[in-house]
Amino acid sequence: MTKTLTAIAVLALTTGAAAAQERISIVGSSTVFPFSTTVAEHFGKATEFATPVVESTGSGGGLRLFCAGVGADTPDITNASRRIKASEVAGCAENGVTDITEVKIGYDGIVLANSVEAAQFDLSLRDIFLALAANVPDGNGGTMPNPYTTWAEVNPALPATKIEVMGPPPTSGTRDAFAELAMEGGCKTFDWISELKGEDKSAYKELCHTLREDGAYVEAGENDNLIVQKLAANPDALGIFGYSFLEQNADLVQGSIVNGVAPEFEAIAAGDYPVSRSLYVYVKNAHVGEVPGIAEFVAEFTNEETWGEFGYLAEKGLIPMGEAEMAQFAEDAANLTPLLLD
Amino acid sequence: MAQREISLTGRKRPLETLLKLTLNLASVLAIFVTLGIVLSMVFEAWKFFQMVSVTEFLFGLEWSPQTAIRADQVGSSGSFGAVPLIAGTLLISSIAMVVAAPIGLISAIYLSEYASARVRAWVKPLLEMLAGIPSVVYGFFAALVVAPFIRMSGGQFGLEVASESALAAGLVMGVMIIPLISSLSDDVLNAVPSSLREASLGLGATQAETIKKVIVPAAIPGIAGSFLLAASAAIGETMIVVMAAGLAANLTANPLEAVTTVTAQIVALLTGDQEFDSAKTLSAFALGLLLFATTLILNIIAMRIVNKYREQYD
Amino acid sequence: MTDLFTTASGHLRARHRAEWRFRWLGRLAIVFSLGFLLIMLFSITSLGKGALSRAEIQLSIDLSAASSLEDVNFQKAVRSALFATFPEVTDRSDKRALLKLLSSDSGYELARMVEENPALLGQETTLWFTASDDIDMYEKGAIDANLPENRRRLKDTTLGWVRTLESRNALRSVFNTAFFTSGDSREPELAGIFSALVGSILSLIVCFALSFPLGIMAALSLEEFSKKSRWSDFIEVNINNLAAVPSIVFGLLGMAIILNVFGLPRSSPLVGGMVLALMTLPTIIIASRAALRSVPPSIREAALGMGATRVQTTFHHVLPLAMPGMLTGAIVGMARALGETAPLIMIGMVAFIVDVPQGFTDAATSLPVQIFLWADSPERAFLEKTSAAILVLLGLLIVMNIAAVVLRKKFERRY
Repeated sequence: MTKTLTAIAVLALTTGAAAAQERISIVGSSTVFPFSTTVAEHFGKATEFATPVVESTGSGGGLRLFCAGVGADTPDITNASRRIKASEVAGCAENGVTDITEVKIGYDGIVLANSVEAAQFDLSLRDIFLALAANVPDGNGGTMPNPYTTWAEVNPALPATKIEVMGPPPTSGTRDAFAELAMEGGCKTFDWISELKGEDKSAYKELCHTLREDGAYVEAGENDNLIVQKLAANPDALGIFGYSFLEQNADLVQGSIVNGVAPEFEAIAAGDYPVSRSLYVYVKNAHVGEVPGIAEFVAEFTNEETWGEFGYLAEKGLIPMGEAEMAQFAEDAANLTPLLLD
Repeated sequence: MAQREISLTGRKRPLETLLKLTLNLASVLAIFVTLGIVLSMVFEAWKFFQMVSVTEFLFGLEWSPQTAIRADQVGSSGSFGAVPLIAGTLLISSIAMVVAAPIGLISAIYLSEYASARVRAWVKPLLEMLAGIPSVVYGFFAALVVAPFIRMSGGQFGLEVASESALAAGLVMGVMIIPLISSLSDDVLNAVPSSLREASLGLGATQAETIKKVIVPAAIPGIAGSFLLAASAAIGETMIVVMAAGLAANLTANPLEAVTTVTAQIVALLTGDQEFDSAKTLSAFALGLLLFATTLILNIIAMRIVNKYREQYD
Repeated sequence: MTDLFTTASGHLRARHRAEWRFRWLGRLAIVFSLGFLLIMLFSITSLGKGALSRAEIQLSIDLSAASSLEDVNFQKAVRSALFATFPEVTDRSDKRALLKLLSSDSGYELARMVEENPALLGQETTLWFTASDDIDMYEKGAIDANLPENRRRLKDTTLGWVRTLESRNALRSVFNTAFFTSGDSREPELAGIFSALVGSILSLIVCFALSFPLGIMAALSLEEFSKKSRWSDFIEVNINNLAAVPSIVFGLLGMAIILNVFGLPRSSPLVGGMVLALMTLPTIIIASRAALRSVPPSIREAALGMGATRVQTTFHHVLPLAMPGMLTGAIVGMARALGETAPLIMIGMVAFIVDVPQGFTDAATSLPVQIFLWADSPERAFLEKTSAAILVLLGLLIVMNIAAVVLRKKFERRY
């Protein structure tokens, strides 16, 4: 056994010396992961550089690794399904990571869907809020714990099925975006709540963003394929997940119409569909030039052929930005303009 | 154990002393690993306890980490009471053990006492394959086959069953840990000296009586060890829970409701999108320590019990 | 007299019935477990068998103008060949849709073919190219052409082209060697399992080389060379407790100590193996101790009585007898290590890695990670890859088990 051990130690050391090939190291969000990896693969094939290693760590974990310092053992790029926070920028700076380039890569539509066996839902943001919020207006200017058990109670035009929505847990960026866009959007359709925003912002957010925890909203984990399968098995339930999964599973599930707009590629890209969020890539400027290929990789990412309307990322389900916005971010990325948070 | 070394030549054996020392070092390694684990969690847990009080964490009956992901979102302060998570962990692990313990032990007995050598040679590795199927696969199976089945059959008897129930996760997890019990117990049963068997059979006991009255009691320490391992695996399992039982923290003893476990929460929190220094992420480290302490207490109790019933036969 | 005899035989019958029931209970338990295994295997196999084949499209490539590799724009050559196959397609967006018949890799595919066989240069030949995942899925019957168009991945126009290709015999299904020889890809039709398999094997080698000897040593020290004391109780509780620590916590430990303190390379099988070794160590120690405990004291007493030292007794007599149990522990532990994903997240092995790792310090991933990542991908075609990857994982497990069975046979005896 000791022989095996020595053999392994020797092997590890010798191969370690040989394998000191520099490759770009990317970490971060599991939502951006499918897009980043697609670009990495194209980049590896089309250029002389080695294919970057892309890790799926979650946005928070990714930024933590990214901000750990400058040097060969820290990642060069991190993906995020939300914008970097001021406190994270400060933490980065503390560890010597001062110049970061922010590249917004596009949008991800968040859809509510149910099985094709059932009728398609036609929801307003207000319906969504009333069905899923922990507390809802009681009609007398106050709030009460959510009493609704069926969709028909929320809005008589909706079917009389039990409210059961499977969605991401509170640790997920998807959940965060859903709360902000769909829930808050429905919440502020009540005039008095909308006024509350000016008076007591924190009470306003608390009311609008808190999802109910009595079983109507099911925290189903982050595996969107599983949610699709569960929907197919249970025609009464709705699910919340990313647009790309809807596109791939159109034979099993259908997207609900929200505020009169169906979740389709054009509608999301035009900004008509109300629930979509931005995806970001952050580049560590200090590593550009140190690790070969970073500038070229960013150039590949911000190429029209990649993230444009007919680019290969659109095929993977990324919703492209408008032309002006795209040009702005492409320019910033090319110049490695450091991020300044306002 | 009062055997003393008898050295005929009266020489000391330096090599043997060295060997013993090395062996002892290997066992002390476990303590270093424990130390390392505690150290790698304690700093972050400390930061967490500066935001959330220890008593709220230990005795709070509500787990709902709905804190904001970004600084500009106020609201949804979230609560960090770990009791529902510990209860959920124990509920799902107990269901798993209720499935795995009898099936595993009976399989082991059949394999070591009744089955022919050929059957045993085939069946044992086949059972071990159950432990090797990745838990993602069990997770899919639990979520897509077992859970809907339970919900449907519950509906037949007028029972309200959540579409993600502790029962589904526990049952499937139980199947996954069967081989831990069956394989290890089989080895232990097999090692019970034949003289015991022969003596019992010679007195006219049937095979089943011999097994129940003589062989199993003789093998109890080893069987307990295998149970312990299986329970440990159940407590540490993540994917099945995330996929089949969900992440909603309900405080309930009803296996038909959705619960979540400590490990499932730890993974979700550590790989989430929120800021790493938020109470939400840091709570994962506090949960890690809590789980560590809980299993430690359970282990000490288990050891007391095993020591009490420990006998050595020959 | 007769009365007593009747009672006794009545008792005997009851006892024999109990015996019979007990035996059947055992069979039932085993049948239950095996039945479950069978169901799982059956469903995985039926889902995964599709990954063994892939669709190819025949195109007539014109390289007559080229004399060296540098002369050719391979991407363009394939495109124009495809457009030449369907001259009736002129609309720009239709042309785009037409390109989606082929895998995005087809240009590189042609480049590789020409590199292998330079004779292709300077002539016009018909060659087979990998079709895109949608076409592949359709060929395997996973896309139902009878569904309304908006619920189908393949639109009517594409379907028309596919039927034309079929009628010209320019569409075929071949054995998917790429699945076993290439690394990961974001295109399902190109994705392979090889780099993950190598990563898993490398990690397991490190894991076994560390955890098996250390586990046995620790077990020996606790069972044979230390008296029952508070200290040994403390170590024992410690080890039992480690067995219940969730695996992701070992990942945290690996990140804090192996990566940050020892400075070993991130994402490497060396670090992965070490973390997995720490995780399996308690399992192996507990199993090994159970095995040592079950060696009858008479063996030790006899050896000691013959004048052997404690060390000789242990290594010559006790250890060989306990070996089968120890191997079982190792197999069960390694099986768990083989299927583990969570601790690898923390040390960077949950990653997209295309290249096959060349050594223990190269960036690598592992089979369960690959399964996990594929299961999480939106593309429907990854479903069969996921299942096929699980089968590969089980294959590896079977190989490990066979090794253990052979070793176990060598040591096992009853006394």
